[in-house]
Amino acid sequence: MPSMANPPDPGALFRDMLGQWEQMTNQFGGEALKTGEFARVMQGANAAAMQAQGATHQVMDRALAAANMPSRSEVADISARLARIEEAVARIEGIVMAQAGIAPPPRPKPKRTRTAPTKS
Amino acid sequence: MSDAPDLLTQARTAFDRALQRNIKGLGYFASSAPALGACAKDLLIQRGTMNLYHYRPLVDDVYRVPLLLVMATTNRGYIFDMVPGQSLVEYLLNAGFDVFMLDWTAPRADEKTLAMEDYVLDFIPTAIARVQAETGEEDFTLVGYCFGGVLAALWAGLHPDAPMKNLVCFTTPVDFSKMDMFQAWADRRFFDVDRLVDTFGNCPGDYLYTAFDLLRPGGRIAGNIRLADNLWNDDYVRSFRMFDRWTSDILPLPGEYFRQTVKQLLWGNELHAGTMHVGGRRVDLGAITAPFLHVTAEHDHIVPSAASAPLIDMVGSTSKEQVTLKGGHVSLVAGGNAIKRLWPKLVDWLGERSE
Repeated sequence: MPSMANPPDPGALFRDMLGQWEQMTNQFGGEALKTGEFARVMQGANAAAMQAQGATHQVMDRALAAANMPSRSEVADISARLARIEEAVARIEGIVMAQAGIAPPPRPKPKRTRTAPTKS
Repeated sequence: MSDAPDLLTQARTAFDRALQRNIKGLGYFASSAPALGACAKDLLIQRGTMNLYHYRPLVDDVYRVPLLLVMATTNRGYIFDMVPGQSLVEYLLNAGFDVFMLDWTAPRADEKTLAMEDYVLDFIPTAIARVQAETGEEDFTLVGYCFGGVLAALWAGLHPDAPMKNLVCFTTPVDFSKMDMFQAWADRRFFDVDRLVDTFGNCPGDYLYTAFDLLRPGGRIAGNIRLADNLWNDDYVRSFRMFDRWTSDILPLPGEYFRQTVKQLLWGNELHAGTMHVGGRRVDLGAITAPFLHVTAEHDHIVPSAASAPLIDMVGSTSKEQVTLKGGHVSLVAGGNAIKRLWPKLVDWLGERSE
């Protein structure tokens, strides 16, 4: 019985209930999600979504080709090629700067002589 | 008479918190998540999905053996370097380690063909060679987290003669038949991985995020209710936002790599069976002889202990240790629990083996 000196905290009660609800949901929900039935439904929904996405891509590709426009995947490929070119330019820039002697001076390196503290 | 102050104090606290919740709640939605990354670092290599970073030392005298952290391929490496005072990297730097990190980025559309071979036989050895060149030391320590541990162990099993001084794995799955939830969802009767990869190219991050989220069906709702309850508490909100950002920042995986992971590990359980081949070579974890530390979490909902426990016996090292610490998959490596338990243990274990 809580005394008046230590009145029950409704907030603490709520937090306790929330913790129990979470534990139960994780336990029983987890068991339900582990069943073959759930896997079948989930993967069925995924397969339907993939089929829809594949069909949409095909339709869009045809429509964009008819309008003489690049598709998203073609733009993504161009972007990827540009990224590779940028990387190559950065590497070449680094080499040129090093050869010209204008590369930033290397940072001082720490000594590598540290030993583990002895345990008493 | 003595009862009145308690009730009054309680009522005042409840009122203050309710007020703060409303005021700070508005600020929460109007502001962005805190900037993460406590330590200065240099990007040494950026190629494919790999980024190799070198953290700038914080002390003048470091241990001879450098340390290479290998991050899980589905997650960002900033879990190891959140904010000052909550950064494993900062802790290691202050303890005198020379720290490198192999972190991952999302694969581009044309990188869907990256495979396990690219990770184990190209990215990891390239990173190791650069660490050796950068430090002038042949020896190095590999530290892998979750699937980063799997990659590190695969590489180590294929290169028993390499000068690897130590191998450390955090909560690394090896018996994939014990990953109940993932096993159920990847049931080959219902899950067509070829179709997924052929349709999307890369495995979408949202797909993986949903899978991780479903592992704890009540977690997100309860977490958000707790956040609303604690909006008055700046420290709680800051910590919540850091971890929420990290857990929802799931990387897509290259299509071929994902296909191999499902077929070889989830379906075939080849690593545990000893039949795993990478690049045509069989992986022999028994050939690993470097000192080995495996740390697992008592309440890991992503990699259950049954899935990670066999690793210690499979590794051939004579000097090896398995430690199970309190906490979950994430709280094992970051946050208050990690600061108290894992980090000091790691520094102690590595210190005497890194001279």
